Amino acid sequence: MKLRPGAFIPELLKHLFKKPATVMYPFEKLNIPKDFRGTPVLKPELCIVCRACVRDCPAFAIEIETLSEEEKKYKMTIHNDRCIHCAQCVESCPTKALFMDDGYELSTDSRRKLKIAYVYSRPKKTAQQSSEK
Amino acid sequence: MAIMKALVYLFVYPGLLFLFVYSTFCEWFDRKLYARLQNRVGPAYTGRAGILQPIADFLKLLFKEDIIPENADRIIFSILPVIGVATVATAGLYLPLWNYDVSRTTFNSFQGDIIVVLYLLCLSTVILFLSGWHSTNFFSTIGGVRVLTMLFGYEVPLFLSVLSPAIVADSWRLAEVANFYQDFPFLLFFQIIGLFVALISLQAKLERTPFDIPHAETEIVGGTFTEFSGKKLAFFRLMTDIEMVVGSGLIATVFMAGFAGGLMGSLARFVLKTLIVIAILSIIRATFSRIRVDQMVVFSWKYLTPLAILQLLVSIIIKGVIK
Amino acid sequence: MKKIKIPIGPQHPALKEPISLRITVEGEVIKDADVRLGYNHRGIEKLAESRTYVQNIYLMERICGICSHSHTTCFVQGVESLCGLEVPKRGLFIRMLVCELERIHSHYLWLGVAAHEAGFDSLFMYTWRDREVVMDLLEIISGNRVHYAINTIGGVRRDLSEVQKEKILEGIQFLKKRMEYYTNLGTTEPSFVARVSGVGILPKEKAMSLCAVGPTLRASGIASDIRKDDPYAAYDEIPFSVCTATSCDVLGRVVVRIKETMESIKIVEYLVKNLPSGEIKVRAPRKVKEGEAVSRYEAPRGENIHYIKSNGTDKPERVKVRAPTLANYPATIEMLKSGFIADIPLIFAAIDPCICCAERFVEVIDTKNENTQVLTMAEIKKRYSKSQGLKKGSSVWPL
Repeated sequence: MKLRPGAFIPELLKHLFKKPATVMYPFEKLNIPKDFRGTPVLKPELCIVCRACVRDCPAFAIEIETLSEEEKKYKMTIHNDRCIHCAQCVESCPTKALFMDDGYELSTDSRRKLKIAYVYSRPKKTAQQSSEK
Repeated sequence: MAIMKALVYLFVYPGLLFLFVYSTFCEWFDRKLYARLQNRVGPAYTGRAGILQPIADFLKLLFKEDIIPENADRIIFSILPVIGVATVATAGLYLPLWNYDVSRTTFNSFQGDIIVVLYLLCLSTVILFLSGWHSTNFFSTIGGVRVLTMLFGYEVPLFLSVLSPAIVADSWRLAEVANFYQDFPFLLFFQIIGLFVALISLQAKLERTPFDIPHAETEIVGGTFTEFSGKKLAFFRLMTDIEMVVGSGLIATVFMAGFAGGLMGSLARFVLKTLIVIAILSIIRATFSRIRVDQMVVFSWKYLTPLAILQLLVSIIIKGVIK
Repeated sequence: MKKIKIPIGPQHPALKEPISLRITVEGEVIKDADVRLGYNHRGIEKLAESRTYVQNIYLMERICGICSHSHTTCFVQGVESLCGLEVPKRGLFIRMLVCELERIHSHYLWLGVAAHEAGFDSLFMYTWRDREVVMDLLEIISGNRVHYAINTIGGVRRDLSEVQKEKILEGIQFLKKRMEYYTNLGTTEPSFVARVSGVGILPKEKAMSLCAVGPTLRASGIASDIRKDDPYAAYDEIPFSVCTATSCDVLGRVVVRIKETMESIKIVEYLVKNLPSGEIKVRAPRKVKEGEAVSRYEAPRGENIHYIKSNGTDKPERVKVRAPTLANYPATIEMLKSGFIADIPLIFAAIDPCICCAERFVEVIDTKNENTQVLTMAEIKKRYSKSQGLKKGSSVWPL
């Protein structure tokens, strides 16, 4: 191996007049790729309350409460403060009611603000059936 | 009138105020250039393009908690940063900017002031060693020992290389050396080796990469500065910055024909020439990796000192030819 | 000269994670070294026992932030062998693709870290800038930059499209060009070479007897690579060579990692160009048959071992992880001896330590009657004070 003192100088000087590689983050943002795993979001009209997501979530970030048994009213809480963004819930969901959006700027000043609750009844078909009764 | 002039000289230009402002500007320039060489942005928010960042850092440090280690000598520990700033600022007064007359001796320009500047710059290094030694911390002690070890490496080539232009000019006075080279600028070409040695030695004196051995953060945490915080650290940082300005000013005086041309002209020349020196120092800082302290001593005695002696020989021969 | 003990860590700028290295020095020369672990124990193995296999994939991913894919693959392979699942070819290829991209990313990162420890901040900035390219590729493939979460039991979760393939090939070309430049730079820049060559010598016999793994072992001239020795996934059908160096020092480790990156780039090219068609995963049962499995995997830092014991339910009974860094600690102590203080960060960084991956519980085995005993921290402290003859209330941790 031959030693060359100052082997780095040409590369350094070349970059002196180039645009810096830094992205000035809060002012400019990078593009998010198509299938980025952001935060989980529920489409309440598709949920059949099978609880597959609750069972598979590694961080126990999804909770489903039954508000009223007769009206088939449920409340799903997604704890984004616990979520590890693995998208296993999306995979486990049989009706594709959950999906990941591209939100990544989650920071707030309180954990409570990260909790998102969805109150919904079962899909229309079941709801109609129950009202017919 | 002479007293007013002297006071302005001491406190405004090129005294404390100018040195403070200009040294923070030089720190910004160095940081920005270093960042751009690395394809980064560098300081960006405080002031236009982050130009006020060093001042902001200084002010922030002033308001931070100030801790003195239990076992340390309180008085020496507190007084060292102030003495450090004082010595390098004093060294700055001897740069021939204005308020000097080549024909007569004044308090800031006399035969032998070149030695005084080098001596004061050397004193600041000793202060770094003392501060490391008095911190009573393993890392500081090791840092202090490294400061001294390095001092034995770079001080001799620095002295030899800075003095060799003075030999040709036949004067130990900075103003006269600068004047001599203004009259015979072509003689500077024979001082190229000396300039090279002086730049490398200055880099070592300022403890910047590849010679940032005494405060190598990944090895010995903060080195000599480990126990310093708040105001004291702020003063040490200021000292390093002023040292950079004075050191590059000294090199600009002896190797780049000084700063003639009245008040404004000398200021413009001073800024331009010191910025060139600082830019070279920044490029050196970006190009190399830190070397070990034993490698540094070997390097300076094996390469730098012989080169400096060679420069001395060249200077003596030139002097003979001129006569 | 008087011997003094200096503490490197648990908090030190050279260490990115807490570990305590106690170094005995004489002047600048190291005479002895000692490693203390246990500052970052997270109880992951215990946690794994209370989670289902699917949940555990994501837990295993969080053992390490850099070789996250290594741990999931190792775990998933073990579970697959317990279930007797045959992963489809395409799934295996995508798994290997992410694995090799991860290796490239890890070695780029390491080169930057090594440069930073040597005080070569420009090289650090440049390597980390270029590392963004491979991070972006991984983000395109898996949806995240660090925790790819692409493995699942029985295959992978995401397929590769033609557009993604093109982007990978494009990015790989750039990385190849840059790595060639860094090879050139890292081996010719005198100040950097002076710092790394002849530092942290680990002779071949020592490397063997101290059970070093990964690039640390290969830099001592031993061609050991799990991908070749005990091929998992589909490594037996992929052409690649095991990179070694004979200089046994930190420079050798730099060279091995650089060569490995070039090799990984070739593998990625091969994988993308020869990607078979078909399914990417098979359905996995939730409950795993009773049994034990050991899975080995060549992580960027060396051999990674997972031991899984299942009891027929949907939760494992025991998961044991042996991260590569743990295997390299004895060798590190050997390397540190008779170096300089200035070499500590470089030598320690040269094993590419991932400290919290290697934090496991303490088990004391009595050599006389082979009784095993799990000790609490309080018990360890008590025993330590007793052995050192310390009085009650005096500092247990002298440094």
